[in-house]
Amino acid sequence: MSDIQSALRETAKKLLTEGTVTCVIGWGETRFPDKTTPIFVKTPEDAEKLVWNAHCVCGLAKYMLDNRCPEGKLAICVRGCDSRAVNRIVEDKQYKREDLYLIGLPCEGKDAPICATCTHRNPVVYDVLLGGPVPEIEVSQEDRFQAVTALEGLTPAEQYDYWQKQFSKCIHCYACRNACPACNCTECYADQYRVGWQGKQIDKAENQVYGLTRAFHVGDRCIECGECERVCPMGLPIMSQTRKILKDINDLWGNYECGLTDSRPHILGEFDLSDRDDFM
Amino acid sequence: MQLKRENLIPALRLLAAQGEILVPTAVDEKVSKFAPWDGSSAPDLALVNTTLPPKDTLFPHQEGMYRYKTAGEPSLEEIVEAPARILFGVRPCDARSIDCMDKVFLGDKYEDAFYARRRANVTVIAHTCAQTGPTCFCDSMGLSPAEAPSADLLLSDTETGWLVTAQTEKGEAVAALWKDLTAEGGEAAPAPACTLKTNMSDALAGTLVSRFEDPIWDEVCHACLGCGTCTYLCPTCYCFDINHEDHGGEGTQFRCWDSCMFSDYTRMAGGHNPRPSKKERLRNRYLHKLAYFKERYGQILCVGCGRCVGHCPSHLDITAFIDKAAERFGEGK
Ligand code: SF4
Ligand code: SF4
Ligand code: SF4
Ligand code: SF4
Ligand code: SF4
Repeated sequence: MSDIQSALRETAKKLLTEGTVTCVIGWGETRFPDKTTPIFVKTPEDAEKLVWNAHCVCGLAKYMLDNRCPEGKLAICVRGCDSRAVNRIVEDKQYKREDLYLIGLPCEGKDAPICATCTHRNPVVYDVLLGGPVPEIEVSQEDRFQAVTALEGLTPAEQYDYWQKQFSKCIHCYACRNACPACNCTECYADQYRVGWQGKQIDKAENQVYGLTRAFHVGDRCIECGECERVCPMGLPIMSQTRKILKDINDLWGNYECGLTDSRPHILGEFDLSDRDDFM
Repeated sequence: MQLKRENLIPALRLLAAQGEILVPTAVDEKVSKFAPWDGSSAPDLALVNTTLPPKDTLFPHQEGMYRYKTAGEPSLEEIVEAPARILFGVRPCDARSIDCMDKVFLGDKYEDAFYARRRANVTVIAHTCAQTGPTCFCDSMGLSPAEAPSADLLLSDTETGWLVTAQTEKGEAVAALWKDLTAEGGEAAPAPACTLKTNMSDALAGTLVSRFEDPIWDEVCHACLGCGTCTYLCPTCYCFDINHEDHGGEGTQFRCWDSCMFSDYTRMAGGHNPRPSKKERLRNRYLHKLAYFKERYGQILCVGCGRCVGHCPSHLDITAFIDKAAERFGEGK
């Protein structure tokens, strides 16, 4: 058993025994050796069920939103991406930082494709850090935006065909939305279909409406955790859309990454009277 | 009778004259489904469980029901679509799922005209599983990887091809069509066993309903994200919603899949939701799969295909739930 895993169990046990928190969200075993599942530990004895290994891939921060008005503190295990997701949700004013206790876990990369371009493997916010920081990997802007650049190289007609083919696979399961920490509205526009914003039809138009709306609703707030692509059962490369928006912001205003603090205004949500409007 | 491997393409060509053949097809490196046969290449019969089940053929994800006009002379026209199709290479679990859907849509009291028309024109050719996948557990759910009793025709692997067993009139017609391509001989390979096992039993199915208020539902629900993955990939989920697309004075009434895991599934007109959280929603899915359907139709609605187990974003596992429930309620086999 790894030292970090033992330390994690000890920490969770202590937090629950002393009543500092009411629940610890972490990862636990499944019956498959290559999969773990989010678990919600509420008693000191159950702290033994927590695991820390290469298969801890599921994002945990989103579960805070199951109860937006908590009584008592909630502890969450945070890797780099989870910590940025927490910042995302706190910055979006969906949860109070003081209602959280963050167990920081420096992460050496998990069994998920996104980890190859992760720029913050160490938690950016935490209350306790288990184990020393891990070295960050060098991720150039070229690597970060490689999938986007490849698509930008296509002609508009080719790009349309590409996305057309991808969107034709979408089954409106909304796993990408439900896993995304930037998707934190109490009620999604897509669920208000009687209003007519999002049709339930599985066709060219409605599939694209969902894809594009999702991308624009989260684009400038995306923390690049990769959950949307990991969970999509149809394998849609939807992170290329949010990363396209991030890349454009990067090109226009310099390096832009989300979720590094909990108080940075998001760029497309800002309005200022002195904004340039020479395009009007 | 045996169909030799080298006769597969000629056999499919003969079949193609009878209708559109849908075969297991890899759409890309991540997704596979039943798609029209290309007319020349051998279908990938080693694909253990396509990502999407074949249910779309009988119960389309979206299906037009009526065209209407309200402007001028009002009119209503039923949309009739029932192409002749042959589902080829259906796994035993998926073959059973069609049987489950038949129970619902072709019931004694109610017959769904849209489903019935499509169903009448679909022939199901099943194929036994030479190997099973890591999430397959059909043999714990009363099925066998080597049998598909409700399919029209069954192809069982032999060393050099497939044994052809007609099981219905439609199946006999196919066997007759293949008369010159098949010959005596061949021995079916023994059925493999599923690696994933679970302790499902009739007794447990009966007990679960009475445990509606047990803390078990709260214990198992928290990791669920409330997405539509498990129900949309499930071969037996048959819920739908009806809606219309209106273009000012004329339009189409259509139905499309719906999922009990979505929050709006039970939301009522006044805004009240009797299944307000993931606990009630997951409980409904598990109870429908494992108990309610059996009460009404005499069989379990989970066929053990393992799709929900393999694709759940949070790695929830219905077999883990079954075993936990069997242990707690003492109703194991
Ligand atoms: S859009 Fe995708 S990568 Fe970005 S925050 Fe949401 S889930 Fe993570
Ligand atoms: S997860 Fe994939 S299939 Fe599901 S709604 Fe999102 S893009 Fe569509
Ligand atoms: S696929 Fe998993 S997360 Fe999604 S609704 Fe089903 S059980 Fe919940
Ligand atoms: S509940 Fe899961 S394993 Fe059972 S039939 Fe549906 S998808 Fe397959
Ligand atoms: S109620 Fe849920 S589990 Fe049952 S068929 Fe409908 S979607 Fe599937």
